[in-house]
Amino acid sequence: MAKKQKRYAFLINLERCIGCNACTVSCKSFYDLHPSINRRFVRETSELLTGTPKRNYISTSCNHCDRPACATACPTGAYIKLDNGIVKHNQDRCIGCRMCATACPYGVPQFDPVKKKMDKCDMCVDRLEAGEQPICVVSCPLEAIAIVDLNEIDESQVVADLPGFADSSITGSSTRFILPKGTTVVRGGIKSWNTL
Amino acid sequence: MSKVSRRTFLKGSAVLGALAGIGGTASSFKKIKPAKAAGKKKQVFSSCPRNCYDTCSIVTTVEDGTIKFVTGNMNNTYTNGRLCVKGYTYPNYVYSPDRIKYPMRQKERGSGKWERISWDEAYDIIAKKILEIKKEYGTTLPIALNKYSGNFNVLNNAVEGMLSSWGYTTRAQGTPCWPAGIDSQTFDFGAAVANDPEVMVKAKYLIVWGANPAWTSVHSMSIIERAKENGTKIVVIDPIMTDTASKADEYIGIKASTDGALALGMAKYILDHNLHDMEWMKKNSIGYEEYLNYLRNNITVEWASEKTGVPVEVIERLAREYAAAKPAAIWLGYGLQRHTNGGASVRAIDALAAMTGNIGVAGGGANYAQTECYGFNYAVQSAGTPPEGDKAGGDRMLNMNNFPAQVLAINNDPEQIPIKMLWVACRNPIAQDPEASVSYKAFESIDFIVTADLWFNETVKQSDIVLPVSSIFETWGLTASYWHYWVNVNEPAIEPLYESKSDLEIAMGISKRLNELEPGSCTYPTDRSIEEWISNELADDFIKKFGFKTWRDILEKGTAKVEGYEAAWSDGKFRTPSGKYEFLSETCAANGHHALPVYVEEMEVPKDRPIRLFSPHWKYGLHSQFQNLEWMRSIHNEPFVEIHPALAKKKGIEDGDMVRVESEVGYVEVKAKITHTVPKDAVVIYEAWYKEQNFNANFLLKATPSDMGSYATGQAGLAFHDQFVTVEKI
Repeated sequence: MAKKQKRYAFLINLERCIGCNACTVSCKSFYDLHPSINRRFVRETSELLTGTPKRNYISTSCNHCDRPACATACPTGAYIKLDNGIVKHNQDRCIGCRMCATACPYGVPQFDPVKKKMDKCDMCVDRLEAGEQPICVVSCPLEAIAIVDLNEIDESQVVADLPGFADSSITGSSTRFILPKGTTVVRGGIKSWNTL
Repeated sequence: MSKVSRRTFLKGSAVLGALAGIGGTASSFKKIKPAKAAGKKKQVFSSCPRNCYDTCSIVTTVEDGTIKFVTGNMNNTYTNGRLCVKGYTYPNYVYSPDRIKYPMRQKERGSGKWERISWDEAYDIIAKKILEIKKEYGTTLPIALNKYSGNFNVLNNAVEGMLSSWGYTTRAQGTPCWPAGIDSQTFDFGAAVANDPEVMVKAKYLIVWGANPAWTSVHSMSIIERAKENGTKIVVIDPIMTDTASKADEYIGIKASTDGALALGMAKYILDHNLHDMEWMKKNSIGYEEYLNYLRNNITVEWASEKTGVPVEVIERLAREYAAAKPAAIWLGYGLQRHTNGGASVRAIDALAAMTGNIGVAGGGANYAQTECYGFNYAVQSAGTPPEGDKAGGDRMLNMNNFPAQVLAINNDPEQIPIKMLWVACRNPIAQDPEASVSYKAFESIDFIVTADLWFNETVKQSDIVLPVSSIFETWGLTASYWHYWVNVNEPAIEPLYESKSDLEIAMGISKRLNELEPGSCTYPTDRSIEEWISNELADDFIKKFGFKTWRDILEKGTAKVEGYEAAWSDGKFRTPSGKYEFLSETCAANGHHALPVYVEEMEVPKDRPIRLFSPHWKYGLHSQFQNLEWMRSIHNEPFVEIHPALAKKKGIEDGDMVRVESEVGYVEVKAKITHTVPKDAVVIYEAWYKEQNFNANFLLKATPSDMGSYATGQAGLAFHDQFVTVEKI
């Protein structure tokens, strides 16, 4: 029997993510990106994500969607969805029209002001093919980012949607998250803290 | 201010100097041999020299003489092959267009009118000024040094050696970081010696007390996450719900500066319920009876609750859980001792760990810091000894934590030898010293200011001469940590950029010129290569600890660990006068404090400025470094003040509004960020240097001393977190 095709996706463990942007900067460094370009994005999200207020973040990159809006919008066919799930952007075909950036519900593709072309994460496909993990995965000091195979993962342990993150059903975002756990908060004897 | 002999200074500065270290990743970044013939790609070991718990060992990839990438060294199990966000910016740091490229002279301070000069000119101007001062005053005491933690590479201690080689000088002594707690642990244990943080995973219960490793020690945060996944209960005690607190099982939002009361309240409950370790105390300590009597007669859990704002039942439960968990660890952060009673708080927490027998246990401990890895010779420092005939007879010590005011006091007093020249290295004092407005006045009162730096920061802008310093990637270095137990070597990765030089090269260059102008006027050696200097730093007995035959053996892995600290103090040999853990410390009493770890009242909140200001470390910077870099600016580039919604509502402030925060000594205008994670009666502004932005948190800070610090570090610390302000919408 043929080996089942992998569907690569990012799994972000938000219980471990400290919102530090080490992923963003190591990626920028490794690929020598224009300083204004980030292939990863770390955003603060609702302090009430787990009930009691605390600092929460979402770290994402390109979500390598099943139905990539960038590919649909692109007039030159610069985006392709690979069999392994990765949405790859071909800069040689890109004319820098930014239609993809407008179409992407996550605002992922960014304009490189020097190359005059768009830029986005390709999940370090060359590294994956060489048996190595993406740079953000190996750089995260908290080991909060992993690559998973969506055909293998137990979907009951992860979520695809979070407040502040566009509905995954729009384009079939492949990114999965492990939700942060709640923290018991004792604060100045105020028990109704989260009602403030 | 005091005069101390050369000998005392060296002893003191040894302590200060000591302040100064997916599977696939291993293979992809394993060091390849620097192939001279086989290609133009090489990897070398670098060492981050910043003032940081984590003091990382770095692998630097160089192609065609250009740094392409940096990452963590897998050989160092603490660094674990990964860096923090700041570390990953190093290629941007090295090649930033903002770097100072040449020696320059400013026509008028603050004017920005810099003219390029040659190194020969710079050395000549500086050497002539030194000789002129020496001739006029018969001593070099009018020359002051303000240097600290911007670069903890041991070779940078050449700056202290350089000044000594001119004569006796005036020094900014002490440390803003941790002095009160260092004193406390010195009184209690005889020295601060923490357990190896890599064994923190063995704790069954971990209290992170006043530390925020999610921002300031990400590798320890990784260890904490691993411990949590193994079932360790993580409790964070902090007035701010930090990112570390946000990862805890339980967060205790304590009223600031009352940490000692919580520790004493817990200890009282433990004593009342016979959960203490009497056997440990009898065997290992002195003064325990007096301590236990103090708890019996003076402390109640209700009192502790009143003080701390933590409910009685929570204090009781914390006490039960902490006493029952074996082992239980406490990590004491530097934040909790930055108060007028901070040293006393640390002693109370130490006592809690000791009375439960958690000292000398792997996975236990009252872990604050350690200086056991600083086995260097400090040859770069001791190479400089004052030439004959300096009439001062000793250096003049000023408190680094109140340096500007003390400079002004001297320069306004005709009875004292004035400060005519200032040398700044490894530091940005205008950004980092309290009372920034006083800093500007102090700088104005000094005739001649030389700053050696990489960036045109606020201090450089107020200098006459700036000397371009090379980054660590352009020179040799050795760095030890004050937290983990690794020592890292730093090999040059690339040639020095532009005309930059290391501080050590500058010391030698000035010495050469001084002796040309006036033979014998400077004792600093000028004939050693940097590699010779580094070999001098690794003493024979030190390298034996690592099983090395020569110092070069460290180049094999780039890093070496000092073993034997899984359970600090497990031998029961404390370095106190009694040789025991001292619940009752005569040394502490002799230094003007209580002999017992009693509660010292916190500073009263002033009625006209009822809002407490915290100005802790920022995650995208280390003090005044990193936030200025382009890569960092692409992520974040706007200072802000965190305000609780309740306070914001009271003041009519909405998220994003500009607000004016005003203290007794100054004000800042900054954007409001509304968040539930700060107390209702406090605001938080993270200290950082933003490039070309008119922002400096230290305009708000008053130089209020902390209770302790002068015993072990020479000078009292600074009550950074006992600062009070008003906040109004602009």
